[in-house]
Amino acid sequence: MLSEELKQELRKMIADAESSREKAVDVMLDIQEHHLWMSDEAMEEAAELLGMSPLELDELATFYDFIYRSPVGKYVIHVCDSAMCWLEGHQRVMDHISTSFNVPIGGTSPDGLFTLLPVCCIGYCDRAPAMVINRRVYGKLTPEKIDRILGRLARDNEFHPPE
Amino acid sequence: MPRLVIDDLEIEVPKGTKVIDAAERLGIMIPRFCYHEALGAVGACRMCAVKFIEGPLKGVQMSCMIDAQDGMVVSTTDQEAVDFRKRVIEWLMINHPHDCPVCDEGGQCLLQDETVSSGHGRRRYPGRKRTYRNQYLGPFIAHEMNRCIHCYRCSRYYQEFSGYRDLGPLQIGNRVYFGRFKEGRLESPFSGNLVDICPTGVYTDIPARFKVRRWDLQRAPSVCINCPLGCNTIGNSHYRAVMRVEARMNPYVNGYFLCDEGRFGFSYTNGGADHAQRPWNSRISGADVTVEAALAESASKIAEISAIYGPGAVVALGSTRNSLETQSMLSRLCRRKGWQGPVWFNDPAIYRKVRSGVERLDSGIAVSMREIEFADFVIVAGADLLNEAPMAAMAIRQASRKNATIIVVDPRPISLPFEFRHIPAAPAQIERCLGSLVKGSISKDELKGFDSSAKGFCKALPAKFEEKESGISISELSGQLMSAKRPVIVCGTGIVCESTPAFAADCAQLLRESGKKAGLFYILPGASSFSSALLSGPETKTFSEILPQIEEGLIKALIATESDPFWDFPDRERLDRALSMLDLLVVIDYLPTETVKRATVFHPSSTVFEMNSTFVNQEGRVQHAERVHVGGVPIWGAHPPRIIRNFVPGGDHQPAWELLWKISAETSMLESVLTLGELIAAEIPVFEAVGHSKYPITEGRIIPENSEGSFVKPKASPAKGQTAKGFNLLLTDTIFASREPSAYADTLASVFPEATLFMHSGDANGAGLSEGDMVSVELELGAIQLKLSVSQRMARGFLFLPRQRGIHWQKMKEFSAWIAPERIRKI
Amino acid sequence: MAQPLVLFKNRHPNRVATLDEYRQSGGYAALERFIGGKIDPGEVVRLIDESGLRGRGGAGFPAGKKWEAVPKNAPFPRYLVANADEMEPGTFKDRILLHTDPHCVIEGMILAGYAFSATKGFFFIRPSYDSSAAIMERELEIARQSGFLGKSILGSGYSFDIVVHRSGGRYICGEATALLNAIMGKRPNPIKPPPYPTEKGLWDRPTVVNNVETLACVPHILRNGPQWFKDLSLTSKGAGTKLFCVSGKVNSPGAEELPMGTPLREIIEKHFGGMLPGSEFKACLPGGASTRFLTSEHYDVPMDFDDLKAIGNRLGTAAIMIFDQKTCLVATTHNLMKFFARESCGWCTPCREGLPYMRELLWLIENGEGKEEYIDTLRSMCKQVWNSYCALAPGAAEPVASLLEFFEDEVREHIRLKGCPFNAKAGN
Ligand SMILES: Cc1cc2nc3c(=O)[nH]c(=O)nc-3n(C[C@H](O)[C@H](O)[C@H](O)COP(=O)(O)O)c2cc1C
Ligand code: SF4
Ligand code: SF4
Ligand code: SF4
Ligand code: FES
Ligand code: FES
Repeated sequence: MLSEELKQELRKMIADAESSREKAVDVMLDIQEHHLWMSDEAMEEAAELLGMSPLELDELATFYDFIYRSPVGKYVIHVCDSAMCWLEGHQRVMDHISTSFNVPIGGTSPDGLFTLLPVCCIGYCDRAPAMVINRRVYGKLTPEKIDRILGRLARDNEFHPPE
Repeated sequence: MPRLVIDDLEIEVPKGTKVIDAAERLGIMIPRFCYHEALGAVGACRMCAVKFIEGPLKGVQMSCMIDAQDGMVVSTTDQEAVDFRKRVIEWLMINHPHDCPVCDEGGQCLLQDETVSSGHGRRRYPGRKRTYRNQYLGPFIAHEMNRCIHCYRCSRYYQEFSGYRDLGPLQIGNRVYFGRFKEGRLESPFSGNLVDICPTGVYTDIPARFKVRRWDLQRAPSVCINCPLGCNTIGNSHYRAVMRVEARMNPYVNGYFLCDEGRFGFSYTNGGADHAQRPWNSRISGADVTVEAALAESASKIAEISAIYGPGAVVALGSTRNSLETQSMLSRLCRRKGWQGPVWFNDPAIYRKVRSGVERLDSGIAVSMREIEFADFVIVAGADLLNEAPMAAMAIRQASRKNATIIVVDPRPISLPFEFRHIPAAPAQIERCLGSLVKGSISKDELKGFDSSAKGFCKALPAKFEEKESGISISELSGQLMSAKRPVIVCGTGIVCESTPAFAADCAQLLRESGKKAGLFYILPGASSFSSALLSGPETKTFSEILPQIEEGLIKALIATESDPFWDFPDRERLDRALSMLDLLVVIDYLPTETVKRATVFHPSSTVFEMNSTFVNQEGRVQHAERVHVGGVPIWGAHPPRIIRNFVPGGDHQPAWELLWKISAETSMLESVLTLGELIAAEIPVFEAVGHSKYPITEGRIIPENSEGSFVKPKASPAKGQTAKGFNLLLTDTIFASREPSAYADTLASVFPEATLFMHSGDANGAGLSEGDMVSVELELGAIQLKLSVSQRMARGFLFLPRQRGIHWQKMKEFSAWIAPERIRKI
Repeated sequence: MAQPLVLFKNRHPNRVATLDEYRQSGGYAALERFIGGKIDPGEVVRLIDESGLRGRGGAGFPAGKKWEAVPKNAPFPRYLVANADEMEPGTFKDRILLHTDPHCVIEGMILAGYAFSATKGFFFIRPSYDSSAAIMERELEIARQSGFLGKSILGSGYSFDIVVHRSGGRYICGEATALLNAIMGKRPNPIKPPPYPTEKGLWDRPTVVNNVETLACVPHILRNGPQWFKDLSLTSKGAGTKLFCVSGKVNSPGAEELPMGTPLREIIEKHFGGMLPGSEFKACLPGGASTRFLTSEHYDVPMDFDDLKAIGNRLGTAAIMIFDQKTCLVATTHNLMKFFARESCGWCTPCREGLPYMRELLWLIENGEGKEEYIDTLRSMCKQVWNSYCALAPGAAEPVASLLEFFEDEVREHIRLKGCPFNAKAGN
């Protein structure tokens, strides 16, 4: 399922490493850039590139928060639920996204655009409540701001520069 | 040697001993889950907490993680430690299902034991339990993840110890899950050990599952007789059925583990799931008769034939699955009655290889599997370990984990669960390769110090061995061997040349003389090949040599004792014809063999689980298997019995030696005159010599301190390269499906490897064949069809055909064949 | 503000300092002097040791001592790891530092590598800091092109390169030994020493793991001398400045560089705009989520390793999370425990099973189903999880233990009222 071009790119990346396994997370993050999540087929192909067994790669994939082993939307919204964001209303953020953009908490919107998940502190506590979407961070969230960010993603269907 | 005090008892232990082991030496069993002697300490479960009161460390610490040190004062009963351990149990139990009453582990569950002994009895945790979905792991092992206590023993065993990569920890936190990437049969042929190693009931043994409670089992120490290694087992039986086999710890042989063939290949003793696959009753001409009638018939017929044609017209066949008792009895009877035999082997070449190997083993050079684990350089010459002697591969893996260099010189596409250098030399090249490897490791100074015979041998070794295909540099390996201190040569006796076992012994001897603690380990063909060899002499014949006498009508009666020529003799048509010429075919066996079907008189014999018996493994280790149960047609599933009888159905079997004695009409025998111990010692003097005339024989090795063998000048091996066009077809073994008795176990049938022919990919290319093709191979007596597997990592010009149940290799006329290219084609 | 700016001296709003700016402020001078001048690496270690630089990653281990622990005759390659995992709730100083002056970290890494002859550096960074990772990659290339990084740095013969290693995201990956497993592509479970990573770390080779901020101090110390660094601190035992990141109920949360030992009161009131209108200081966690609640009783404590230790607390990562009188600390503690339980690597029993147990009890208390006996259970578990395999679980117990020590009444009130007096909601 991985394109030959992508495989070539990954092979090169792996070859540069100290040991191939070292690149396991990078390979998976890269594949997710193209395919959003790590399907079983993607896991098998990635494992082969890395000289690992699929199980060995899955040991890592299922450990980490930002590797997805089930289908996710185009934009994965991780809303921080750790202390500072919780204090500043992380639940309101979750609820707002869920109702306004029709994304079940822990699930994906029917149009496949958004997935809504909690995440632990993302290191932007000074700008609580905060969220991260496809590894870009947004802080000091208000309903208006959320509408703006997600509205733009939904409309343009593409990224705008992070804050 | 540190001295410490544990619970007021003082003990001195070797440096590096963990406190948990020091306590065990004192008889104090500190609770543990993750710690296991074979797997080492990882400090995961925190169950082994004890309090350090005095010494270099203070407070509650994990006893598995701490080396015993001078001046330590340790308490296992300190309140803080006890409370902590109780808390660990409470933590582990918050998610554990309360299904002990229906759990197969119940009664043998470390978690159950330690929960009870900790005093934790009431659930206080108010939350809900975590639950998991289970996976299908194949026909042997059931998965019940909800019972997991996350000790990581299974993944450490599976990946680190045994070297397989398809089971491990997934997820994180309290969701950690032990399983596979996808459902499916576990790849490891050592997977059954998960059942033993898991401290709770996550992995249970499917053949025994839901059939019996642990405390209802009859258990006894036994020995695996499927391959020559003789791993130690515990047989477990219930209602006349062997339910399961577990590993029995023997530090010298199998350690804590078994292979799956040894563990699950037992159901032949029950006659399979329907109990119909074992010949339970005595028979004359195919009709059931009483034990006495059959014995009388055999005795009188044998006597008759001896009287008419002379005792030499009677020949006794034994086998390498006979117990030592049976072998000794066969040997004694042949001598006293004048029968021909005993015949142990079919193939004369194999017989000579076994003998020449066994002759060379002495206590200086023979190593056990335990010693292999500590080898720093292992050369495997002509052995496919995973298929021929699986646990030996495990032993070498442990050496490999300690960074030993492993070299395999074998023409087959060998795979092993560790890194090794494979030199796919043709059988005739193995000695060349081994010889030049060893020669290159001998320094000039060492050579000078050798006596003349060693010197002569060393000088005659080939200096160079070109290995183009694998690109491996022998001289580089020689350099590594030079610095090795404990090299071991593992030598097969299957596909190698006749001279190779002795040659390997010479090489090992040479390494010894160059100051190394070198060892030698043979893989022999069958559980009791070693004792067969001890009971043989230059006169001993193989079945191949006996057969012409049958064909000529010189032999009239055959007594086949747990011996089935149809199993491993080629040319079935000839065999059929020959056996039909006999006046009498007496068969003693517990397997439903082809020979049994043709028996004039049949006597059911006892399996290893049904008698006390002795086996000598391939390194000369004598091991005793106790009777697990009386045996007979199993009644589970049909309990309580509805018909009341005054006999045990299927209970007629007797140890083969006893049957032999009875049909021999030899009166001055056992009980009255000879004990079994005396019988054995009388037949095999070395038992007497090493003080083994008592019975049962306690474990020990029966190899001499010094063998007589001395250096044989190596022959110049034939030059490389085949002239004629075609392939040399050789027979090879495969796990599960090649050996008696396990291949008769229906528990294994579903895992028999697919019938496959192995061929070099270059050869296949040339023949227009490729991986996965179905091919037809025309043998002398007809064609066989199987799948083709190609590999670059094997010798060119060879075909390897597994001698496995279901492949009709007996369409060959000899033990090997020459296959012209046109006789193998794609279908 | 009369702050002695060292690490933040090139701080610009919304902009990363360039190489030129860094160089103008004295950047890479230390590298030129020590590596370019081929000064004995031992001298680097000595100076850092003398400066009293202690690890900024949480444990406060003296940096010089750690480097010294690499045996002189240890085999090569040797590795340096910069720990930019920073996943402890409340902590974000390393991110700000990376967005401020990345070359300061790069130079620190090179010099630290030089100190024990490392051959390769890994910059380990969490996924939500992807922008920082990108900055780092860009600036590393610039450093490489300027001859500060790569083969034979400044012609000295000493070669050292740095790669950015992206994590898949888990708190435990910040723990030094788990981090090494993560880099090697193994499951990031910690490995209990011995052997220490300085002897057997990455691929069994000597490896030093340092926090990003620790490393960033190195060039400045080498340039200005150990005494200068010591003098930066307000306390006699302390040394240097410290990046404090403050969040919670203050007017201007963020990160500032202040002298080590700056009193808590001054930090809150002077540097972070004071408490929010209508908020009174109730308590704070002074050094990240794995430190103890610090009450107003210690409002004036100097924020330094030893002074916090003296009051039974820890400086940790100097991430100060501030709570006011309206905050329910039971709910807060539950939230922290939820974090720790979720991030437990799952290796050892006390953490894997004990933390969820504690989380459950806190949740019940917060939601009105608490029982008096839970307090004893929690207390004893707080002690017992100290027998865990690594420091995660003991850290996780700190907020709970201090909640029960300083706010037992508040806990009991929840139980008595069968509900939260603050009407806070604990998400489960
Ligand atoms: C659970 C846990 C998480 C940690 N996370 C981090 C981290 O994100 N960043 C960090 O620098 N140190 C972290 N540490 C501390 C590291 O183990 C290590 O002590 C530190 O990186 C060493 O650097 P230093 O000596 O420069 O402080 C963590 C420790 C533990 C126990
Ligand atoms: S499955 Fe068994 S052996 Fe494996 S971790 Fe769980 S309890 Fe331990
Ligand atoms: S078959 Fe061989 S290796 Fe397997 S358990 Fe039996 S004796 Fe051991
Ligand atoms: S305390 Fe134990 S379970 Fe928790 S993170 Fe450390 S090793 Fe893992
Ligand atoms: S608590 Fe949400 S970003 Fe730190
Ligand atoms: S047995 Fe010691 S921690 Fe598990």
